[in-house]
Amino acid sequence: MSIQTHKGVIGTIVVNAEGIPIRTTLDNSTTVQYAGLLHQLTMKARSTVRDIDPQNDLTFLRIRSKKHEIMVAPDKEYLLIVIQNPSE
Amino acid sequence: MFMDESLEVVGVRSSWRKSQQRDQHSKSCQTKPVHSAEAESQVRCVEDSSTQTDPQEQISQLQLSADPPGLVEFLRRVEGVVIRELVKNAKSHAFDGFEVNWVDQQQAVTCLHCLGHPDAQQRGLQVTGVSWNCTGSVIACAYGRVDHGDWSTEKSCVCTWNLDRSKLNPKQPDMVIDTATPVMCVSFHPLRPSLIAGGLYSGEVIVWDTSSTQDPVLAQTGISQDTHREPVYEVKWVPGARRGDLAVLSACSGGRILLWSVEAAEGRLSLTSGYALVRQQVPQSSSSNKSRGGTNIGVTSLTLSPWDLDSFLVGSEGGLVLKCAFSSQTVAAVPPNGESVALRAPAQFSFSARAGPVHSLHFSPFHRNLFVSVGTDGLAQIHSMLQPRALLTMRVSDSYVFGVRWSPVRPLVFAAVTGQGLVQVFDLGRRSLRPAATIDQNTGGQPAYCLEFSPRQLLAVGNADGTVNIWQLSAELTVQSSRESVVLEQLANEVAE
Repeated sequence: MSIQTHKGVIGTIVVNAEGIPIRTTLDNSTTVQYAGLLHQLTMKARSTVRDIDPQNDLTFLRIRSKKHEIMVAPDKEYLLIVIQNPSE
Repeated sequence: MFMDESLEVVGVRSSWRKSQQRDQHSKSCQTKPVHSAEAESQVRCVEDSSTQTDPQEQISQLQLSADPPGLVEFLRRVEGVVIRELVKNAKSHAFDGFEVNWVDQQQAVTCLHCLGHPDAQQRGLQVTGVSWNCTGSVIACAYGRVDHGDWSTEKSCVCTWNLDRSKLNPKQPDMVIDTATPVMCVSFHPLRPSLIAGGLYSGEVIVWDTSSTQDPVLAQTGISQDTHREPVYEVKWVPGARRGDLAVLSACSGGRILLWSVEAAEGRLSLTSGYALVRQQVPQSSSSNKSRGGTNIGVTSLTLSPWDLDSFLVGSEGGLVLKCAFSSQTVAAVPPNGESVALRAPAQFSFSARAGPVHSLHFSPFHRNLFVSVGTDGLAQIHSMLQPRALLTMRVSDSYVFGVRWSPVRPLVFAAVTGQGLVQVFDLGRRSLRPAATIDQNTGGQPAYCLEFSPRQLLAVGNADGTVNIWQLSAELTVQSSRESVVLEQLANEVAE
């Protein structure tokens, strides 16, 4: 996948609808941690958007931290998580 | 009618004594002379043969699980969007210089506590070692003397304070453990918050359990053929034979480094393996060494590598810095002294020698190959494990430097304590080689002998006047910036000319 080789990308994880990681480029323990936490956060973000406006829906989630940026692309069945270090 | 009468005294000889005496005979026996004979044998014909496995056919990699339905379409759908965002991120300057303050930033270095044991201070004892426990709530300090001339039998103690208690009394330790001789070093167990190991001036190593209500001594080496004969300068906990077990490593100025296992049931530390450093077995580094008298190399500091469990560094009284390995099998060239294990020579590599005793060494917790060393020449040298010469040399003070530690949170920061009582904090990210911060402890010019960072980013410094100061460093010294690991990596990869 060309996302993995993009500049600054630290890791990529694909999570299914139950929050279980099915594809990953990181080690096991990190993957499980990211998958669990981000799945919950994405569900919360989605419900926040829909509560404000029921016609609206979440399309993309980005979390920017001191060290890197986490991007989540949600879908009905899957979730794509990409961790990028933007300063490199 | 009644008259006084005097009777003769009647005596009865005791007869039991004679009957108790048994007959005595002496006999001796001896084995017959042992019959021995010599015979030789030799092979007449030799044959060799070898075997080899056949090359295995490549087992085709099985797909662990077929792609779940819809996965490929999903990835195709989102790929474009994600790549666009990644590209925008890499080029964006939107967040340049954007900092968020989640907590109030500490602007200045403050002294939180100044702890001391008045009894020990009155007797003129100095703090020779400090150690934090694994949770960062208890600080232990060892009282002893560094300026001995001769064998000392002065009673001393190890004091602990729990900094999390609200009724903390800086002048009264929570626990005082008495010892028969001055204590030279202490170390808390890295997993169990109540065990402390300490090395004494007499060469003994003792493990105390601060949670036991009666006698705090859990195990000790005692004085035997196995123990050190010289003051123990360093004591550390190392992973033992079984997982989860920890053994005690002690190093003394007689050149012996011994590994003890704790047998709590019997209350003693038993020797499992030992190493001896002698001058003849030290690999010569490229720079010439003036040979000093004496064959034993006195160990003044020791540090374990957090990355490679087999290697450790030793600093000696003569200024040598040696890389040693636990797994070394070379037998040490020392006359056997009745020890129960054979001593081995651990030194594998010798770094460039210093001009005086090396008082402290510390491995960087962020980089595999870097360590810093300080000694009486007043310089702090940063070495890479791969080269004998130092990568960077900085002048810490004009007097002796007794301790150095890397910061546990910032890869480029380390702190050193000097013979004038100052704490110099260096930040390698700055361009200059001058200290980033200097903490004056107001000890009146008395030296500070030891320092330790706590798991909660406090700094404890032990001084010659018997006090332990707990410092909280400012935010710029404890908050990691983003490019520090990269700078450290660049530093490590430099080749010293």
